[in-house]
Amino acid sequence: MDLSETLRISVRSLRSHRLRAALTVIGIVIGIAAVVTFATFGASLKADVVSEIEGSSANEVYLVATEADEGGFGGAGQPVFTEYDLSQLRDIAGVQRVVPRGIVPVSAVSHDNETIAQRQVTATNATAFDTATFESGRPFENGASEAVVNRPAAQLFPGNLSTGDTLSITRSSGDRVNVTVVGVVNGTGGQLPFSSFTEQPRVFVPADPFYQSVVESPNAVGNQRVYSQVTVVTDPADTTATQERVREYFASPRSDAAQLVPDGFEVSAQTNADLVDSIERIVTRLTRFVTGIAVIALIVGAVGIANIMLVSVTERTREIGIMKAVGARSRDVMELFLAEAVLLGALGAVIGVPLGIAGGWVATRYAEIPLELAPGWFAAAVAVGVLTGVVAGLYPAWRAARVDPIDALRYE
Amino acid sequence: MTDATDTATGTDPSGRAEPAAGDEPVVDLADVTKTYEGAVAVEALSTVSLSLAPGSYTAIMGPSGSGKSTLLNLVGGLDTPTEGVVRIDGQDIAALSDAERARARGRTVGFVFQTFNLMPRLTAVENVALPLVFQGVDRGERRERAADLLSRVGLGDRLDHRPSELSGGQRQRVAIARALAADPALLLADEPTGNVDTETGAQIMDLFAELHEAGNTILLVTHERRIAEHAERIVHFRDGVIEDVEAL
Repeated sequence: MDLSETLRISVRSLRSHRLRAALTVIGIVIGIAAVVTFATFGASLKADVVSEIEGSSANEVYLVATEADEGGFGGAGQPVFTEYDLSQLRDIAGVQRVVPRGIVPVSAVSHDNETIAQRQVTATNATAFDTATFESGRPFENGASEAVVNRPAAQLFPGNLSTGDTLSITRSSGDRVNVTVVGVVNGTGGQLPFSSFTEQPRVFVPADPFYQSVVESPNAVGNQRVYSQVTVVTDPADTTATQERVREYFASPRSDAAQLVPDGFEVSAQTNADLVDSIERIVTRLTRFVTGIAVIALIVGAVGIANIMLVSVTERTREIGIMKAVGARSRDVMELFLAEAVLLGALGAVIGVPLGIAGGWVATRYAEIPLELAPGWFAAAVAVGVLTGVVAGLYPAWRAARVDPIDALRYE
Repeated sequence: MTDATDTATGTDPSGRAEPAAGDEPVVDLADVTKTYEGAVAVEALSTVSLSLAPGSYTAIMGPSGSGKSTLLNLVGGLDTPTEGVVRIDGQDIAALSDAERARARGRTVGFVFQTFNLMPRLTAVENVALPLVFQGVDRGERRERAADLLSRVGLGDRLDHRPSELSGGQRQRVAIARALAADPALLLADEPTGNVDTETGAQIMDLFAELHEAGNTILLVTHERRIAEHAERIVHFRDGVIEDVEAL
């Protein structure tokens, strides 16, 4: 018998039990929608994280000393990079700029009579700034009492900070210093990737003279400033090789960091691409795990189909007998019941996918990340719905096909 | 004349209504024994031989347990004999696979049941067309032929009614139209008047008489002598054997 007739008869028998069919479909809808929701949310999360990171330059290598198993972006890191290391790095082939970052703890930052609560300012050097990011002004000069603020920081003050304004910074020790704002940036080169996640207000000051964490350099003479984060800006044409040379440097005792790093910690030198890779891996694993849980809902839905189809076979024993008496082969009967199960599964998928997308949209709105659709998953979800119907319908259909017409026709 | 794998012949409306010239019986049972295995083996039919000529009208009578139902299942191609040979339209049904037997059944035998056995969710015309679905006849042709047959049984104005919207007599006429749909070699009626009132029963029997006139081969199973007397001969069954063949 032809497919269109099979479908027509199947639709007819499903429509005769609308409520039952609807309830069965709901089981599949929930399963498929859950899978699609989590898949969509996972895809959105991944896309968001990756775009955040890829927003920064691809030619930057981030140095941080973290616990060996944290993969290089676990926390603030240990202060191990000395001025000696920085100067050695500048001599490595392919290195264009070396930007250290240190944290200066402060208790207050004020301008005129306005004080903002700021726990820290960032100490770095003049090379940290990409001139293209300046909204106004210029980088500070090393050794000068100058500061650069980013736009969110400027906006904390009434009327916004502008170049020429004086900021009064109170260190956590109680000392007070005045600096002149010389530039406003809308971003900085050489930031750690995660720092751009939320555009926090930042005040940048020259490490010289404001940064006072020092350590005795193992390779040079005397105390030196020591930083926990360093960004190496490389020649874009040579990033990979340069990254390798930087790693070699930190693997050898020629570097201060190699000697200062505590047990169980290691210096990692990673590019954006490395970070993107590992974040993608983590998000993908997480998505798969959660989606796997959603698959359980789908399995429950499949059991619902199998259950209702078995009931249907029993109820329609007589009809099966009639069909066989008028010339239906076992295969025809099997096709009919299988078609019904597949219709239920497919219907569940067709309703479940848009519902899942809607669920994903809600989840992304809640998480405040842009929606990213995963069309491959949608196709897969529909296929899974159909497949669920097939798997769930197979046994009931087989039972139907085996009905003996002689018994069935006697069945009252 | 029929090759079991050839689905086309059975749907040719001009082919079989005329009794084929003088020849092979439509149904031929040769020394057929049917035993049902169980805790105790039951011999439902013992060495029965029976032949239905084309265009003949035979009634089977007998008390319950006489083997009527077993005979019906064998002649209808729903079951196979334990011993002996059952030929329907020249084809040994035991030699066919289940699927082939199903197709052959749809093509060569038209069933009319006591309880009508219509598909409850299909309309009259769809019920009549159902055998043609399994013969692979296309949709337009199916509907046309089914509508034709319903007109012939006097239900031309009830094409799109469901069985639940029809009276018992009308349902049985739909069932008869369905039995004729594939233009079968044999009409097999099992107590066709058992579920309708006397008057409607008479109309049904008139319809069978007409169909016989038109050249159809009919096998009628009943326990009512009054009904059996519509046939040309009555075959009496008792305890799995033919007790008597009575010509009318």
